[in-house]
Amino acid sequence: MSKFPEYKHDKSHEYFDRAIKVIPSGIYGHLGPAEGLWVPVSKWPFYSEKAQGTYFWDVDGNKYIDFMCAYGPNVLGYNDPDVDAAAMKQLKLGNCTTSPSKVMVECAENLVDTVASADWAFFCKNGSDTTTLAVMTARAHTHKKKIFFLKGFYHGDFQWAQKVDYPGILPEDVANNVVVPWFNLQALEEAYEACNGDVAGLIAQPYDHGNFKDNEVASTEYWQAVRKFCDDHGMVLIFDDVRAGFRLDLQGSDHYYGIKADLICFCKALANGYNMSALCGGEHMKGTVSGLTYTGSYWMSAVPFAASIACINKMKKLNTPKMFREMGTKLTDGFKAAAAEHGFDLVVSGEPALFYLRIANDDSLMLHQEWIAECVSRGLFLASHHNHFMNAAVTDEDIKKAIEIAEDAFSVVEKRHPELKG
Amino acid sequence: MTDSRTLAYINLYAVLGTLENLCELDSKAKEILAEMKKPVSVCFDVKGGPAATIKFTKNGCRMEDGKQPCDIYIPVASCEKFNGIIDGTVTPIPAKGFTKIGFLLKTFTALTDRLTELMKPTEEALKDPAFFDLSTTLMFYTISVALSQIGNQDAIGKASASYMLDGEISFLIKDGPAATLRVKDNHLITIKQKSAKPRAIMQFDNMQLANDLFNGKINAMECIGKGTVEIRGMLSMVDNMNRILDRVALYLA
Repeated sequence: MSKFPEYKHDKSHEYFDRAIKVIPSGIYGHLGPAEGLWVPVSKWPFYSEKAQGTYFWDVDGNKYIDFMCAYGPNVLGYNDPDVDAAAMKQLKLGNCTTSPSKVMVECAENLVDTVASADWAFFCKNGSDTTTLAVMTARAHTHKKKIFFLKGFYHGDFQWAQKVDYPGILPEDVANNVVVPWFNLQALEEAYEACNGDVAGLIAQPYDHGNFKDNEVASTEYWQAVRKFCDDHGMVLIFDDVRAGFRLDLQGSDHYYGIKADLICFCKALANGYNMSALCGGEHMKGTVSGLTYTGSYWMSAVPFAASIACINKMKKLNTPKMFREMGTKLTDGFKAAAAEHGFDLVVSGEPALFYLRIANDDSLMLHQEWIAECVSRGLFLASHHNHFMNAAVTDEDIKKAIEIAEDAFSVVEKRHPELKG
Repeated sequence: MTDSRTLAYINLYAVLGTLENLCELDSKAKEILAEMKKPVSVCFDVKGGPAATIKFTKNGCRMEDGKQPCDIYIPVASCEKFNGIIDGTVTPIPAKGFTKIGFLLKTFTALTDRLTELMKPTEEALKDPAFFDLSTTLMFYTISVALSQIGNQDAIGKASASYMLDGEISFLIKDGPAATLRVKDNHLITIKQKSAKPRAIMQFDNMQLANDLFNGKINAMECIGKGTVEIRGMLSMVDNMNRILDRVALYLA
């Protein structure tokens, strides 16, 4: 008998039926059933009603401990009082104005004071805005064409960052992308030679957190070697810290790995859910960025800047990277122990702040999908094949409850598969 | 963009290959075959493209890969010419088997005409449930085989196949036909039967849904959201298969 009863999602389905009439695919992108890889969809909530701290409630009134954190933006907890107060105060003063608010300057200064490799900040809205700007900057700076990517890359969904077989993408859109394997310096050298040196830069996340596979963390030595490679070849090193930014190190994930990137992209954890992103970089790149034509209607809105200042200052006060490492380790240790009790081999990989899970008993991931679905339908929101995210509102009680639900879900899957005992 | 070489592979293995299923499942095809006096084999050998031999008996037909011993040998000068034979703008000229030309003109043509009737059905014909099911089933097998041809031949399809892990994808219609897409070293093979140990599964809820999807009447993403298209297992394999599936529509349109 399951300790945690299964949720029902009748209202979610009603909303989804309405949605597919007026919104392509109902919920597009990573928050939706197709890209979110909800297997089976019947176990997942489609739409939320409200959120608080590390919890959200769906439209059916079901409550979830959320370790996806809106896929990253929720870093301090939903509705953080300090961030919201700063945002509301700024909203009353002005948000989207003809002359940008002075808070934009304060926000840039705060980032420069916080991020080790930053001498300036250029603000946009989404992660893709910044990775695109970074690639443009690298090309403008070097007057070279090719960009190196590391295998399994994800740098947003703009055309240049997709793959040749994706719908709507032309071979010409991605003709200058060169994909090289992770952790292989010889391959970098060979690829550079194959391009006759016409390489503007290398863009990468801090470590290999591709989906459908165990995440592989990098080492300081690896990044120092890549830094040297880029320096030796006049290439711009771009750190895409959209996903991991501020969760590993408040000074930037490049700092975490003992280097300074030329350009570093931030988004998700930058303002606790208020919509903004930033490209930061060294002084030597500032002139190039200044010369680019690149702007957007809402990029200088003041409210997110005020939220970001409050968010970064609170993360510093709490030392969130340390907190996330400790909480992530405690949580995943609990998951692993619960798995072992029921005969499952749960592999935990990646950094604890962004842990990735995989049940290794079968090579199809079907058992893993079953377990994740049983967790979600009992109030523990995890993702099937994506890294997770910690937030600062998580308490020891939340971790205890999450482990209990995970254990309960393991027991359900174990009962369904007596063949595993053989 | 499509290329004529890939289309030739699809036309031979996926379209003419579906004659196997037609002869097995369709009573009218069985009647056509019943008139055969003795077995006949036909080989299509396309220069710079595919080659296969189809062996017909009273009881059905079977396609074998490559140039096999045959009664009627039809060399085709190019992929473009072969595609012309399939769309009816080029007349096939056998280099061997003139005495069996009657089979080509009568039996073979009757079978391919019947296949066309089922693969490009009128709205009126689809109102008959039995015809509808047979048409959808044959379409399913054609698409299943076209998937592997595109993954192996088409430049963009090869990119999708290059991301696929080894293993089998079960591709099926619930309570209907099933096929297996076997991936090994980024090379794809379609087997027209259900996988015993799939690494990933893509299942359509029913014949009507599959037919509507094949004809572009409904959207696959919505179906995944509604649960009427079930995907499970190593979903990166399904994701890449879907990208190839997009190109099937382009080639078979």
